[in-house]
Amino acid sequence: MADQALPVGLGEIKISKSPGDVLVAYGLGSCVGVGMYDPVAKVAGMLHAVLPQSLNGTEQVPGKFVTTGVPKLIEEMEKAGALRSRLQVRMAGGANMLTAPGAKQAFNIGERNVLQARTTLDTLRMRLQAEDVGGTVGRTVRLFVNDGRMTVKALGSQEKALA
Amino acid sequence: MNTDDNLKLFLETTGIQGFQHAAEGLSGMLGEQIMPTRPATRMVPLVDIPNVLGGPEREAVGIYLQSEGDLVAQFVLVLPFEKACELVDLVIGEAVGTTQVLGSMERSALGEIGNITTGYFLNRVATIMHWDARPSPPAVIVDMVGAILNVVTATVAGISDEVLMLQGTFVRAGREVEVMFWIIPDANSLEMFKDARS
Repeated sequence: MADQALPVGLGEIKISKSPGDVLVAYGLGSCVGVGMYDPVAKVAGMLHAVLPQSLNGTEQVPGKFVTTGVPKLIEEMEKAGALRSRLQVRMAGGANMLTAPGAKQAFNIGERNVLQARTTLDTLRMRLQAEDVGGTVGRTVRLFVNDGRMTVKALGSQEKALA
Repeated sequence: MNTDDNLKLFLETTGIQGFQHAAEGLSGMLGEQIMPTRPATRMVPLVDIPNVLGGPEREAVGIYLQSEGDLVAQFVLVLPFEKACELVDLVIGEAVGTTQVLGSMERSALGEIGNITTGYFLNRVATIMHWDARPSPPAVIVDMVGAILNVVTATVAGISDEVLMLQGTFVRAGREVEVMFWIIPDANSLEMFKDARS
């Protein structure tokens, strides 16, 4: 059966229990992709967060922010039948895309996204199993629903498993 | 972010002059006639931004600058990797197809394209509006489209779920070069445009 790619766009959270599905966050720059998988219930979920937290308290799109997106991802996983204690959590992204001298990127959003994700997961008592974060290159991350494999690919590099 | 059709029309009318001036600058730099298409002002949902130029995973080149002063905005030129190589060939006087890799010299040439395009655009708009505006040094990013445009989306996502942008392309030898030129003014600058329009 051919894999069915389900794109997880900016600020989106997607959940799937269909074995042929692959949740994909394409071209993560400073954004972080957080993937969760329950290997018993075979439920997969992915968050594509853009910023660490909302600054003005408005969170109509919880997936845009790490602080609201991670709890929302867990909530949606549980609604789909996953058990929080079984969740395998992995993360990718958080690069600094602007490295030219004089170029300003406010407060290195990529690094802040990564730090916030670790903090939020820690607060929720969720163990981060693996990550591929930082640096200066974009990543595409895939989460395969049939077996929970999560892979990361950067331009010009081989796709590799996030163990 | 609230906009109205009159503001959009005003931005487009002002923007077309900026685009024409930018095209003049590019023509001089490349030694070829470059014409702009008419720019359009669009409100683009954040989630749709990476889905340009063939999708977020496509290899592309982004030339990114910011402006300071009265007009605070982000400027991005995005083009497919192979088109960027063609432009480099034009700049450095090589036969099209020569450049295959974008090393430091090639990136410097692309940065200069960004400088010229944005500088000429800013110069014209600033003259029309009697504003002061200065571009930053360019950043040249070679990566997937989605990762490149993350530079823009990360900046605006905290404010809005949509981005107002002035978008146009350039035409060379009767064919679109497929260089997208986006100008994303910040909220304060949009207010200044509104005030100037009224």
